[in-house]
Amino acid sequence: MNKKSVQWLYGEMPGLVARGIISPETERRLREHYGPAEPVRPARLAVIIFSVLGSLLIGAGIILMLAHNWENLSRAARAVLSFLPLALAQGLAAWALIKRPQSMAWSEGAATLVFLMIGASISLVSQTYNISGDLPSFILAWSLLGLPLVYIFNAVTPGLLYLWGITEWACHLRIEDGANAGYWLLAALLLPQLALWMKAGRYQVRPTLLLWAACASVTVAAGVTIERVLPGLWIVLYASLFALMFLAGEFWFREAEGFWSRPLRHFGAGGVLALSFLFTFEWPWHRIGWNHWQWERIHDAPWRAIPDAALGGMIPLAAIVLLVTTVRRKAPLGLVFGLAPVIAALGYCLSSLYESSAPSAGLFDLYLLAIGIWLMASGIRTGKQGQMNVGLLAVTALIVARFFDSDLSFLLRGLVFIALGLAFLATNIFMLRRKGVSHEQA
Amino acid sequence: MNRRNLLLLAFAAAVAVQLAVPAWMIAGRELTMRAGKLFKFKTRPVDPVDAFRGRYVWLGLEPGAVMVPDAKKWRTNQKVFAVLGTDSNGFAMVNRLERAMPAGGEASVKVRVQWSDIYKNEVRIGWPGLDRYYMTEKKAPEAEKAYWDHNVRTNRGCHVTVRVRGGSAVIENLFIEDKPVSDWLNENKK
Repeated sequence: MNKKSVQWLYGEMPGLVARGIISPETERRLREHYGPAEPVRPARLAVIIFSVLGSLLIGAGIILMLAHNWENLSRAARAVLSFLPLALAQGLAAWALIKRPQSMAWSEGAATLVFLMIGASISLVSQTYNISGDLPSFILAWSLLGLPLVYIFNAVTPGLLYLWGITEWACHLRIEDGANAGYWLLAALLLPQLALWMKAGRYQVRPTLLLWAACASVTVAAGVTIERVLPGLWIVLYASLFALMFLAGEFWFREAEGFWSRPLRHFGAGGVLALSFLFTFEWPWHRIGWNHWQWERIHDAPWRAIPDAALGGMIPLAAIVLLVTTVRRKAPLGLVFGLAPVIAALGYCLSSLYESSAPSAGLFDLYLLAIGIWLMASGIRTGKQGQMNVGLLAVTALIVARFFDSDLSFLLRGLVFIALGLAFLATNIFMLRRKGVSHEQA
Repeated sequence: MNRRNLLLLAFAAAVAVQLAVPAWMIAGRELTMRAGKLFKFKTRPVDPVDAFRGRYVWLGLEPGAVMVPDAKKWRTNQKVFAVLGTDSNGFAMVNRLERAMPAGGEASVKVRVQWSDIYKNEVRIGWPGLDRYYMTEKKAPEAEKAYWDHNVRTNRGCHVTVRVRGGSAVIENLFIEDKPVSDWLNENKK
């Protein structure tokens, strides 16, 4: 049970005991079972946030000052100076590790500063010796040198910076047409720490932040690490990836409250909706499928087939396994979003077989309409206003998009827009009223 | 060993590696600066700004193309080694391209294949490791302007000196009208 619920329960208990619903003995045993329910003190959170922000600002300031470039110093002096910011940050971090090992503010702040100063140091050496060119290697070296800080300081900010670094590295290598599938191994280096944090409490700030960042990073990386040997593979890959995120969120993070504490679920759902909307257009389905194999890309470098096969095989497979479990558990929401990879694969096959984009785009018109209506209906039924509005938004986006494709008159378009606006207002007022009534009844 | 000591030990190891990387970079470059063979490269015009690493003059080294026996062997973006020699005017030239660093300590620089012309049997190359000369924020724009003025077709008074040892290369100085750029800027103050 999460802390808010425990607090609520503890608030209720004196009344329950007074009315004789539970005995004082039961109250005591319940308190023993759930333990203390301390609220997170906002003051402490503020200190942590400001210590990280402070480190980021100081670090950025030092990097800028170094970028200013002192020409008057001798090469030897500059070489020594380039160690200075890093050594100072490391000294501060060592002090924090010895004297303030329990303070999250010190750990996060000091580890962040060291991470940034590693980059500053390497940059300064590069500047002194006019080293240039290999930006990806610089970013990769920087990220890898910063990675141990996550484990040693039990800090999430270096983890976020590391994720940024390896994503940036993968993107740069894509531009240079180099091999970047190693991203997945690099990202996996964060998994042990994530597992430790989740074991200690999966809804705490650190794992939640890392998961949000990981969702974003993996979304970018999936696109830049596939080698485009099989055109259109991204369609199935992304549909599977977002469905996988959503289902994993539904399975392992059910009890969290609020939007921000469920990164996998909400990133995945947003991804499936945005992607399904894209797939209702015809352009993603042009010239894809096995008739358009990029032989010359494999001919030059046969390894290119490996990341495509591994990613295109494993992610959809994992998504399907979770989907099957969802069907067994009879969780309708999971089924609605989890079907995305199946529909995408179907659309992919249709486009490949018939060399036509209309059937696949039409398939996604239907799918998005179904998701929208289902979200709306179930939102209204269960009194979840947010869910209802997301459903309404999906249907509206679909209608608007198809409208611009068609040659209907302005009068008719205007009328439909007004109708959609009214639907938004009416359903929301209806929901608010119903909530008001239920409050009054209670 | 308790958890705290283990963490401290791990941190000490991390610190050592973090310091070793810039130290290694410095050591390698210093060695090249001292023991490397000196080459003079002709230049050609280019420019921009790298906000992250401060101001510098963007250099374009010559030669930008190399004649090869079979241009089909080289593909775009491939990283190769240009084995260096000196022409009759004392400027650097590329004797041949190699896929791996040549054995026997021949002076060579890592270059990137831009594209290959299979009709002329010519490979266009870029010099990604030797394309920046760092200066102060104030001086870089002035130097850049001087570099530009001396890299037009009628006036080619610029060159760069590079120290090369094995496969490692470091820019030593940028010359305008045969003077180091800082001296040239001092003499030509407006």
